[in-house]
Amino acid sequence: MARKPSEHFFEQLGERSISFFTTVYEIATLFMQTVRALPSLWFYRRQFLEQLYAFSVKTLPIAAVIAIFIGLGATVQSTYQSSELLTRAVLVNVIFKTTILELCPIVLSLVLAGKLGASLAAEIGSMKISEQVEALETMSLDPIGFLVVPRVVAGLLMLPVITIFANFLAIFSSFFVSAVATEWISPAEFGSGLEMDFKVFEMYFGNLIKPAVYGFLIALMGSYFGLKTSGGAKGVGAASTNAVVVSAVFIVIFDYYLGKLLL
Amino acid sequence: MITVRGVRKSFDDKEVLTGIDLDIPDNTTMVILGPSGQGKTVFIKTLVRLIEPDAGSIAYDGDDILRMSRREWQAYQNSIAFVFQNSALFDFLDVRENLSLFLRMHKKMTPFQMYSEVSRAITFVGLGDDVLDKFPEELSGGMRKRVAIARAMIKRPKYIFYDEPTTGLDQNNAEKVSELILMLKNEIAATSIIVTHDIKLMRDVADRVALLREGNISFTGTKEEISAETLDFLYETRGEYDL
Repeated sequence: MARKPSEHFFEQLGERSISFFTTVYEIATLFMQTVRALPSLWFYRRQFLEQLYAFSVKTLPIAAVIAIFIGLGATVQSTYQSSELLTRAVLVNVIFKTTILELCPIVLSLVLAGKLGASLAAEIGSMKISEQVEALETMSLDPIGFLVVPRVVAGLLMLPVITIFANFLAIFSSFFVSAVATEWISPAEFGSGLEMDFKVFEMYFGNLIKPAVYGFLIALMGSYFGLKTSGGAKGVGAASTNAVVVSAVFIVIFDYYLGKLLL
Repeated sequence: MITVRGVRKSFDDKEVLTGIDLDIPDNTTMVILGPSGQGKTVFIKTLVRLIEPDAGSIAYDGDDILRMSRREWQAYQNSIAFVFQNSALFDFLDVRENLSLFLRMHKKMTPFQMYSEVSRAITFVGLGDDVLDKFPEELSGGMRKRVAIARAMIKRPKYIFYDEPTTGLDQNNAEKVSELILMLKNEIAATSIIVTHDIKLMRDVADRVALLREGNISFTGTKEEISAETLDFLYETRGEYDL
């Protein structure tokens, strides 16, 4: 007997709900396992150093390009929308804070979620389907300690470093386009705009807290979907895609809640 | 001695292992023979806890490994080695690092001692030192398999497990692998457990044989005790076995 469409709908809804909560549970479990395996970081220090390199030196060129154009773009848009109601120094202050607190951390993290998250998931996923993860276990090496901990800690530490570098470049490019190339504002006014209503915590928030959380999320999601990979090359592709999409979703959700809670 | 009792494993609704009982005496080469799809790989992976069985017990010298915590089992793993069907060499490490990884992580050795061990292992499997700087992707399937055996050897294990060691190899390489399995057993006096569908390999290396059919052991004994009819039944075909 043919089933009613509503039965089919509820069946699918049930399956998807179970799948969603299973994934959330598994991610939480991986998080706990990663925390428990943190003391093994020294044991796997060579893998950690390799990941520090991957998360920093290999991402600097793309971070530099993004940061320069964020600074240029934000300045051009803001000066275009400027009015007599705001002084130019105030406008510089708005550009500065928007860039440091929001634009650079989130745009950079989303791009790095694409670059690093996909590559992490593909790397670990390929290892999974070619039995290399199991080979680690048979060599008395903990796959979480060997693969996940170095990546997660590297993400946590290096994204703030890259973001500080990117924020510096973005502000410098903003200065260049507004005070040097177009002379829309004098260097002294630009400087006073930066100093205006300066709060040290905001610098920590935009340069350290946000990027550290995003770096952690990118590495954890890449590792999770990598370790979940099955089914050959198609599975590796799916793992990469899922890692990028889920990291990006988490980043924008956390972006809202971090701002709401801490600012 | 490895003692297996009532090991069961299901995936979704399919029962792959249906209550296996098996004894594997020390210092023997036990070949678990069966055609594809009978649960050979699942079984050998349950023996080393790469797959956790749903029921049953697996004891190494009387210690039930399924009751050990992960940490206890990790320490125990130093006494076993596993050669995977696809070799499973770490593709981000060159051959030298693949071979020395275990020593670097678990043994207190000087770089010179490590180099000597690695060099000895690679020579043992019939490869030259020039291979040490290559990455797995630069090696042929036969060479990769030999490196995998060298990596297993370097652990000096008490038990060595092989999952389909001759699959995907041409006849020359398959014979070389058979020789290496025998040489390795003599060199380190390990107990070897091999799952394979390859009757020739069984004939070449087995001290004892267990036939796996539909997730259970249908026969155990020496290779001389296996009749052609038994193999016909196992492989659902007729003839062509030269025992």
